[in-house]
Amino acid sequence: MKKFIKVLSLAVSALLIFSACSSAEKNAEVQKDTDSVIVAMGTSSEPEAGFDPAYGWGAGEHVHEPLIQSTLTVTTKDLKIDYDLATDIKTSDDGLLWTVVIRDDVFFTDGEKLTAEDVAFTYNTVKETSSVNDFTMLDKAVAVDDTTVEFYMTKPYSIWPYTMAIVGIVPEHAYSADYGSNPIGSGRYIMKQWDKGQQIIFEANPDYYGDEIKMKKVTVVFMDEDAAFAAVKAGQVDLAYTAAAYAEQNVKGYELLAFESVDNRGFNLPTVKETTDADGNKIGNNFTSNVLVRRALNIGIDREQTILNVMDGYGTKAYSVCDKMPWYNAEAEIECDKDEAARLLDEAGWKTGADGMREKDGIKAGFNLLYPASDSLRQAMCADVQNQLKELGIDVTIEGVGWDTAYTRALSEPLMWGWGAHTPMELYNIYHTVGSSAEYSPYSNETVDRYMDEALSASSLEESYELWQKAQWDGTTGITQEGDIPWIWLANIDHLYWSDVNLTGAEQKLHPHGHGWSIVNNVDQWSWK
Amino acid sequence: MRKINGRIMTVMLFSAAILFLAAITISGSIFSDEAMITDFSRKNLAPSLQYLFGTDWLGRDMFIRTLTGLSMSIKIGLLAAFASSIIALALGIISATMGKTADAIVTWIIDLVMGIPHILLLILISYAFGKGFKGVVIGVALTHWTSLARVIRSEVLQLKEATYIKAAQKLGVSKFEIAWKHMFPHLFSQFLVGLILMFPHAILHEASITFLGFGLSPEQPAIGIILSESMKYLAMGRWWLAVFPGLLLVGTVILFDVAGESLRKLLDPSSAHK
Repeated sequence: MKKFIKVLSLAVSALLIFSACSSAEKNAEVQKDTDSVIVAMGTSSEPEAGFDPAYGWGAGEHVHEPLIQSTLTVTTKDLKIDYDLATDIKTSDDGLLWTVVIRDDVFFTDGEKLTAEDVAFTYNTVKETSSVNDFTMLDKAVAVDDTTVEFYMTKPYSIWPYTMAIVGIVPEHAYSADYGSNPIGSGRYIMKQWDKGQQIIFEANPDYYGDEIKMKKVTVVFMDEDAAFAAVKAGQVDLAYTAAAYAEQNVKGYELLAFESVDNRGFNLPTVKETTDADGNKIGNNFTSNVLVRRALNIGIDREQTILNVMDGYGTKAYSVCDKMPWYNAEAEIECDKDEAARLLDEAGWKTGADGMREKDGIKAGFNLLYPASDSLRQAMCADVQNQLKELGIDVTIEGVGWDTAYTRALSEPLMWGWGAHTPMELYNIYHTVGSSAEYSPYSNETVDRYMDEALSASSLEESYELWQKAQWDGTTGITQEGDIPWIWLANIDHLYWSDVNLTGAEQKLHPHGHGWSIVNNVDQWSWK
Repeated sequence: MRKINGRIMTVMLFSAAILFLAAITISGSIFSDEAMITDFSRKNLAPSLQYLFGTDWLGRDMFIRTLTGLSMSIKIGLLAAFASSIIALALGIISATMGKTADAIVTWIIDLVMGIPHILLLILISYAFGKGFKGVVIGVALTHWTSLARVIRSEVLQLKEATYIKAAQKLGVSKFEIAWKHMFPHLFSQFLVGLILMFPHAILHEASITFLGFGLSPEQPAIGIILSESMKYLAMGRWWLAVFPGLLLVGTVILFDVAGESLRKLLDPSSAHK
């Protein structure tokens, strides 16, 4: 009898727990407000150092609009420049002085007025402390009066408006070491609550100077891919990031949204022969140092097949680090041609041997392709490249590495990278010579360097776009197929989200690298049906 | 028909376990190249006759991958356990025969290694040796010797009081000769059983360190990697990626335990004739 009672009580308690769980779920569904939204992002999207623009909020590798703070400029849908705080931007003839006039009607959320002093303070602060962006081109920022700020540059920098789009303006009177966790700004939202490791709650700024904010409350929760998917299935979030692997699933009440991006994946091809530098690091790669081989690799990979195999079609073919940007040169586009690739390899002296693999002077054609060990998408891309190049007789091995060694190893072995930013400076960072070679992969071309230097000292953005394009291909030299082709770009991955069918998101601008905060760039304009 | 007695049963159990483990190791080694093959035309297939364990998101045959992963685990386990037990034997004997100071130092080292959480020390050592196969083997080898070393040390302390050892000492036989000629044969059974019982430990630790991402790189077939990758796909209903490799890992560990236990029964005088 005792046993029976035990079993019975166990059963009853189990039942109770179950019913408690299901009623909690039901509650979550009922409580859906018409002006609030819950968004799930990856755990790596939680800003480690908080909401301080100096330590990466909105800036750095994963750019997005800072929401809490205002910026001087914003990037438009086609990635040109528009004004946020600024009302007028002028640059001197020599490009060494930028004069920016700002709005007079903007207040921080603590009631203090936002003045040119705050702008100057912000820029002088990030110049000193920014751990994510390069501000060496800025000498100093000076507030001339309440609404005018002057930026004195150390060198001409025509794309300064793109930098102005990522620096959130902080209040001088309320900026201290813990600003990151207690941010005060003049942007669309106020950070209300931050439960580290879990969620951040934003509330609309009632005194915002811009368009009316439709979404009054935004909750961002951080979870892993599988947890985010489980949350979608349970109806606990309104919008959640996801990956192509989940795309074939069906969730009732949710639709899959795919946003095109410039979040590209591609690998570098060291352009010099293997040597050892002073620190004993290997530099260069004997196989990829031949330009004919690099061209063969670029034209021999069927990007469409890669996108289909690896991303279930959720991606677009990439030909450069900046596809579809105003500074992109469409000359980079090529059609996959395996015969031409084979011909180029023959011409380079890599002849097909008895086993179907190519060799030259007894050396097998091939290389070791690296990928960041934690990134299964890049691993799959490497596997696909490996399979495709095998058909061409090139023996590729793949290896996952940690970022602690990846940068050094990429100097001699191709690495599957991910880039894509809302500034042409990325072209400079990847292709421009620093010292004797470009920073991430051995490469140097004086003409390409010169065009980029000229682009930086151009007198207008329009003029600079043209020069950035010429740096990619000017008709005789560049970084495209007919040029030096020191990097191969394969795909821009679509950023995928599960979205409640009743949620209407505003149009997205092309997402940059990083599947994170970009989605909420315009969360203030989202609405419920 | 003659009744099979316990001893024969144990011998059979032992041989079966060893045979099965050898089969996994050998077949895994034979298929090691095939385990790396990716083929996107056959990705995410459920288990079938052609692909017993199904395929994963890169179209890899999970049966072959699991076999290769386990054989890699067993090899790492063998190497690491062997190295570990040699360390244990050497330190155990040194500690017991080379005087008070040596004993104090060795006991201190044992306490030190035991005092640091196993997996943490393993990660640190593996990381310091550049991860990969080498890192894992060295890591497991340097962390698993402590308990066996203690057993051997206490065994040697007992032996030292034995009359035949005392006699050898009085006859002026050198310390090393006593250790090697008179003590080691006596210790061998403990040593062997300790060695075999160390395998499952080593294998599980190899699996956990690769699971945590501090071991081999993810394109390699290792059981920890297979299991950590499979987690992501459980939510999508691809249960086979976790279940079969997991079961096989548990099976392997149990088999090693069975082999070790039966060997102990065979060698232990108190149970050898049952």
